[in-house]
Amino acid sequence: MLTEFELQALWLSLKVALRSVAFALPFAVVAAYILARKRFPGKVLFDGVIHLPLALPPVLVGYLLLLTFGIRGPLGGWLYDAFGLRLAFTSVGASIATAVMSFPLMVRAIRLSIEAIDLGLERAAATLGASPLDRLITITLPLMLPGVLSGCVVAFAASLGEFGAVITFVSNIPGETQTLPLAIYAAVQNPDGDAAAARLAALSLVLALSGLIISEVIARRARRMLGGAADE
Amino acid sequence: MTMIDLDIRKRLGDFALDVSFSIPGHGVTALFGRSGAGKTSVIAAIAGLLRPDEGHIRVAGRTLFDARVGADVPIHRRRVGYVFQDGRLFPHLSVRDNLLYGYRRSPLRNRRITMEEVVALLGVAPLLERRPRDLSGGEKQRVAIGRALLAQPEVLLMDEPFASLDAPRKREILPYLERLRDELRLPIVYVSHAIEEVVRLANQVVVLDAGRVAATGTPEQLGERLDLRPLLGEFESGAIIDAQVTAFDSQFELSTLAFEGGVLRVPGRAGDLGALVRVRVRARDVSLALEKPAAISVQNIFAGAVEEVFEDSGAYAELKLRVSGTRFLSRVTRESVSRLGLVLGAQVYLLVKSVSLDHETVSTVPGRANGGLRHGD
Amino acid sequence: MTVPLARILLLALLLPISLAANAQGVTVFAAASLTDAMNDIAKAYAARSGAGVRTSYAASSALARQIENGAPADLFFSADDEWMDYLEKRSLIERSTRVARLGNRLVLIAPAGPARRVEIRKGLDLAALLGSGRLATGDPANVPVGRYAQQALTFLGLWPIAEPKLARADNVRFALTYVERGEAPLGIVYSTDAAIARGVQVIGEFPPESHAEISYPMAIVAMHGTDAVKAFHTFLLGSEAATVFKRFGFSVR
Repeated sequence: MLTEFELQALWLSLKVALRSVAFALPFAVVAAYILARKRFPGKVLFDGVIHLPLALPPVLVGYLLLLTFGIRGPLGGWLYDAFGLRLAFTSVGASIATAVMSFPLMVRAIRLSIEAIDLGLERAAATLGASPLDRLITITLPLMLPGVLSGCVVAFAASLGEFGAVITFVSNIPGETQTLPLAIYAAVQNPDGDAAAARLAALSLVLALSGLIISEVIARRARRMLGGAADE
Repeated sequence: MTMIDLDIRKRLGDFALDVSFSIPGHGVTALFGRSGAGKTSVIAAIAGLLRPDEGHIRVAGRTLFDARVGADVPIHRRRVGYVFQDGRLFPHLSVRDNLLYGYRRSPLRNRRITMEEVVALLGVAPLLERRPRDLSGGEKQRVAIGRALLAQPEVLLMDEPFASLDAPRKREILPYLERLRDELRLPIVYVSHAIEEVVRLANQVVVLDAGRVAATGTPEQLGERLDLRPLLGEFESGAIIDAQVTAFDSQFELSTLAFEGGVLRVPGRAGDLGALVRVRVRARDVSLALEKPAAISVQNIFAGAVEEVFEDSGAYAELKLRVSGTRFLSRVTRESVSRLGLVLGAQVYLLVKSVSLDHETVSTVPGRANGGLRHGD
Repeated sequence: MTVPLARILLLALLLPISLAANAQGVTVFAAASLTDAMNDIAKAYAARSGAGVRTSYAASSALARQIENGAPADLFFSADDEWMDYLEKRSLIERSTRVARLGNRLVLIAPAGPARRVEIRKGLDLAALLGSGRLATGDPANVPVGRYAQQALTFLGLWPIAEPKLARADNVRFALTYVERGEAPLGIVYSTDAAIARGVQVIGEFPPESHAEISYPMAIVAMHGTDAVKAFHTFLLGSEAATVFKRFGFSVR
């Protein structure tokens, strides 16, 4: 049903998006927690920086990644010297590009779920002898799970669709960095590529839709498990 | 031994909290006052949820807070059980795991209260596998109390645990609290603005007003303080009389209670023979007559003398009356005071309808505290 | 956060409108490799005639697709014949105005450093030059420079070595950037791009016979042949424009 080329793009897209979610999640949880719970001077700036990928052109984000994580960039140079790790032109680099682009969406979803947690529950846990770290692990983290799940799904979907930052940072290499949107783009750029592009676009559509439906099912189940109303 | 020694000051916006008292031994201490008087702030400070600006807090000889030496024990090391107004059960845990949350975190050597004990005491056995969302309001509060107890606290703080419950739910839980008080011998500080609860449960009362201690004493002492009337607002004044069950008439379903100065007949079975009970005789249920009435339905008639008359600006007056060693309060119209000539020392008969002494006003006696309550300076 | 976002969206919405509204000026869609030369020419033209020139630079393929879908371009300056043919086939350009104006050369570049040269010929040890790195150029699937690179490498028998090692950039300027940033040890770009980039050096030229002639055709978009557009078309064919093009390394026909 699918050609080898299409399967390759599909598999690569899933791989890049999954890894991107895994990269972003720990940072997103910390950032969301800080934004939801902490007060400090410069918080507005912090908030702004986190949301920057939403406002910047993706190509610019990709270019900035190239400057930062490229072999001559401050971080990329260190990664290469210390671990021999190159990010440009690799699928790991593609995951980093999509992670950065979808980061604000993930933070947003998790932040909302943290803000919805009754602070009183953590106080109650404290009076029961739970230390701050204990409270975080046994109360806050489980209660923010629905937000984490929906944040992951939104970020996963956004990663599947990310184009500009990926093509700029890691270029368009079939089998390595050519995810579905890049494959669609390449097809569209070809004077005879309309049919191929249409098939790839249909594939993307099915993928995105099934991802969102699955996520909704998971989120409902999680909410029920956590004792909230199933339909909110 | 002094259980709680507290002397704190805290500014909260326009509100200034300046409270100082000490609570001896175990038993139930009620923090009573209007909403906004600072009751919750006081127990929040004991628990460490509110940090005072100045002063100190000591529980069972342990300093939890002392501004002068910079001591401030973190909440989770204070060993204070806290029952919140709204329960605050953890929604993602079963009732069992809620109950055991604090227990699992308590050091082995401190474990005196067991799961079995709490389950039996609070009657939560059928609820253990349920989720908090499947519990009724009353059930939630029982679980919250059990959870606080199982954390092996040195003192139990309760912040109007029944505020969100209707009267039948309240009646369902009050007996559990009485058992807590009598069986666990755990000091309890209980915040309330419902006088019925206070009278029923408390050994000592601290009355708060606008962030300050307005009065302290036993419920009996405060009940007789006519000057506190305006301060306490909803306070339904009445006398508190400790008595003993001496007889039960099964044909008419009436109990006879002996107290210093006579016997009271009350409807229903007030307790086992010989049991000590506490009766709250509301001032409005006590009528006065100059001559002993005959052929009247009222069962309880006592001879007494007027000890104090307190007239407010409205239609009513309150009188304090002595019947042998016991004091009663009576609420009548000012017109009656004038018509009957009820002045200091006047001899009168007190009439109390048995019907007015129901299960709301008759309860078992709180365990005695070691000594009285001292208002700190 | 929503306010700046909304503002950007608003700008994005208004942009095509403002382009369309500028009926007096000329809107040129030009291949990305023409960016610097066209900017200078537009400036010179504005100074001389007072008429404004709006420019939009992207891959020729993207521009052709946009024109096909009704983008408000007056003049199309492509980096290859294929996309011009594509539009001509669909009668989207004024056939009589199509002129093969410029030529260009294909060069091999490396990051700036000690000067070095390689002779580009059959049997060149490309694998050794690349090492573990990649060869940056336009995507042969759709970017003209990539297609020329593929032709040249095939002609030289190097395509089997190069193909799995390509870093396929979305346009020639990004291929240049990859080499400039040291991400790729080698790149294949137009000599014009190499000339303006500071961080790269030309280490070899591809023989002209190794690939199809690199031709930059330009034409007026169908139904856009107003006097103003025609005047600018004529200016592009004149000697003043030719001087600018030459300065940036193009060969002028």
